Amino acid sequence: MKTKQLLILVTFVALFAGCATVTPNELISARSAYRLASEGPAEQLAPAELHKAHEALVLAEQSFLKEPDSQKTKDLAYVAQRKSEQAGTLGAMAADKARKDKANVDFQKKQTEIVKQGKQDLSDSEKRTADALAALAALAAVKEEERGLVVTLSGGVLFQSAKATLLSSAEVKLDQVANALLAVSARNLIVEGHTDSRGSESYNQGLSQRRADVVRDYLVKKGYPADRIQSRGKGEGSPIANNASPEGRANNRRVEIIIER
Amino acid sequence: MKHVSKNGIMVFAVAVVATAIVAGCANAPLRTEASTSGIRAAEEAGAAKVPQASLHLQLAKEELELAKALAAKGKKDEAASMLLRAEADAELAVVLSHGDAEKSEAMAAVERVRQLRKDNQ
Repeated sequence: MKTKQLLILVTFVALFAGCATVTPNELISARSAYRLASEGPAEQLAPAELHKAHEALVLAEQSFLKEPDSQKTKDLAYVAQRKSEQAGTLGAMAADKARKDKANVDFQKKQTEIVKQGKQDLSDSEKRTADALAALAALAAVKEEERGLVVTLSGGVLFQSAKATLLSSAEVKLDQVANALLAVSARNLIVEGHTDSRGSESYNQGLSQRRADVVRDYLVKKGYPADRIQSRGKGEGSPIANNASPEGRANNRRVEIIIER
Repeated sequence: MKHVSKNGIMVFAVAVVATAIVAGCANAPLRTEASTSGIRAAEEAGAAKVPQASLHLQLAKEELELAKALAAKGKKDEAASMLLRAEADAELAVVLSHGDAEKSEAMAAVERVRQLRKDNQ
């Protein structure tokens, strides 16, 4: 509406003064600056400043009608131009502030969403872990230790004596273990091979490493992430029973899968 | 002593008052407070560090000096008009000083959201 009124005034000025006199550059610039400001965000976001610019431009136009070539007209037009630029800048600033406020709200929302999703993921993960542990406990001996959760598989169930080749019956068991472990595939695993004390220490070390490798490779083949699973041969150095009896030696021949925390 | 009429005294008094008013207006000091405080505000807002604001701050200073020079030459109207330019430039310098910071903050806030979204895709 104001722009319309101003256009009428400008037309009026042009009709009566335009033919006889040259419009000062200051006034041309002021009109242009006001138009630019009024077409931008200032109309919505800095209306008071735009109104001041409008009033300043009206004063300049009126002065131009009375004294087209005067310094006063040029000065008033100059002021109108600056006030228009000021209104335009304030409009842009208000738009920037609105953009900033919206971005901050979006940031908060996204953060809340992430935290919520994180909690949900944690809850899901905890449930998956509990289910996996229950499944593992049904398949093998499971023990909570400082190094993590230790799943112990008897060597006699997995391998032929003195060999590192999986028994066919062992594959069924390992499939079940792998399925349970896949539910916690974000955890790091260590597969440790252990032997009894019969045979030389170096032989036992090599055998335990080969057995650990075989189990590791099998779990990887079943889908466990290779970069999350290591194998270690521990030889006869970490017995869990007395090697003097056949029963004790059978217990010492084992593969442990450690699920790290 | 020559007798002075009552009317004569009145005419003389009016003439003295009128002369005093005219002389007073002619010698009224230039009111530069608005310009100088505007310039100070722009400086405090950090206009010197923002290129566009710095330009208008400089213009305001020059216009203020010009207004003083015009006033010294007795060109009071022109001086007052020039002061309006100085005030307008100083005010614009203040606004432009803050505008730059607001724009930077808005850009930083938008970038922060974009990065957060990217990191949590």
